Amino acid sequence: MFGLGGLLRAGSSLFHSAGPLLLPARTISTGTCCQIRMHAIPQPKQVDRWTEKRSMFGVYDNIGILGDFKAHPKDLIVAPCWLKGFKGNELQRLSRKKKMVGDRMMTLDRHNLEKRIRFLYRRFNRSGKHR
Amino acid sequence: MLRFSCLVLNRGAARRFASSFSSENTLPPNLLLPSNLVDPARLKRPPPPADSSLPLLRKCDAAVPPHLRPVQTWVESLEGKDSEPSGLTELHPDVFAVPPRLDILHAVEIWQKNFKRISHANTKLRSEVRGGGRKPWNQKGSGRARHGSIRSPIWRGGGVSHGPRGPNSYYYMLPMKVRVQGLKVALSSKFAQQYLHIVDSLNIPTADSKDLLELIRHRHWGESALLVDVCQEFPENILQATANLKTVNLIPAIGLNVHSMLKHEAIILTLDTVRFLEEKLLWHDQRYTPLYPFRLPYSDFP
Repeated sequence: MFGLGGLLRAGSSLFHSAGPLLLPARTISTGTCCQIRMHAIPQPKQVDRWTEKRSMFGVYDNIGILGDFKAHPKDLIVAPCWLKGFKGNELQRLSRKKKMVGDRMMTLDRHNLEKRIRFLYRRFNRSGKHR
Repeated sequence: MLRFSCLVLNRGAARRFASSFSSENTLPPNLLLPSNLVDPARLKRPPPPADSSLPLLRKCDAAVPPHLRPVQTWVESLEGKDSEPSGLTELHPDVFAVPPRLDILHAVEIWQKNFKRISHANTKLRSEVRGGGRKPWNQKGSGRARHGSIRSPIWRGGGVSHGPRGPNSYYYMLPMKVRVQGLKVALSSKFAQQYLHIVDSLNIPTADSKDLLELIRHRHWGESALLVDVCQEFPENILQATANLKTVNLIPAIGLNVHSMLKHEAIILTLDTVRFLEEKLLWHDQRYTPLYPFRLPYSDFP
């Protein structure tokens, strides 16, 4: 009911710009009305392309080839310690996490981790076409 | 009537079609150009002629292959905005004039974007969501659908069955020679488009950011500039001038990379940087394949 009034207000603001000829004589509702209420076209979001992070992105990525191989780009990655310079599927990530961080984890998290590893091992190695 | 209109329309279409085969670059007759239009071909300084009177400040250290010739550019200075170039320098063709391999540039840019990416998106499974151990109602008799737990994925508030799982990494490494070639292609492309400028040193007279911006605008170098130098300590003036500027950035030569070169319109290198880059990037053309990682000691490297 009030959705119809909102549509009428939005419609009238559009039609004012379009010209007096397009104002409808009466609006008809045939059942469900959409609940979206818009007063105007939303503003495009303003993104600053030159923040400190964006302008300095990628610096030192070639520290190996330009810096005598004393460091490797994987040393620059900001990540949990079991993911620095490592890529794997879920089972590999979880088993690496258990190896590296398992004894520091909370009991509930460790229990869930072990359950998930057990489930994924059985799923990958005992079921499906690729085992 | 129909035949006459067809004839008229086809004549106009034939004229428009024939203009696409004309050899000279004729602009369409109904084009409206704004009065303050900038033509980059007229603004930038043309490359130095072969018989220029300025001294050659630097020759290539490494051996140039016999079928190639070193490319030459002006060596300018940042002292005053009206200062003329003080000399010429030679640049090695295997670093600054390689064929423009856009696929390598793309690969290196995507690598730089993705290899550091760690996605922390995580959702709880039905076993991890709090609760849901008990069967909500009896299997038979209640008239409702049969369910085993209130946290199954079809329930509201239940777990997600195939959602993102935990911190996930997108790490991979491109071969070292591909990354080196990406740097060479980026430098060559910037040089070919006249966005690369060589400067004798990064000493500027005042630590004023407005003066530096004015210099860059006056010389029509572009909207953004990347200043590269080989040293651990930069002069105070340039540090203070670039500290507050967003689009003019200062990096050491070790920090040079394809993404920054593509993001900034103008690249300004010093003569020391050019020597450093040529030495580092040309070594990979002549090296042996590593038996063990290069960070472990070799007898003849570095």
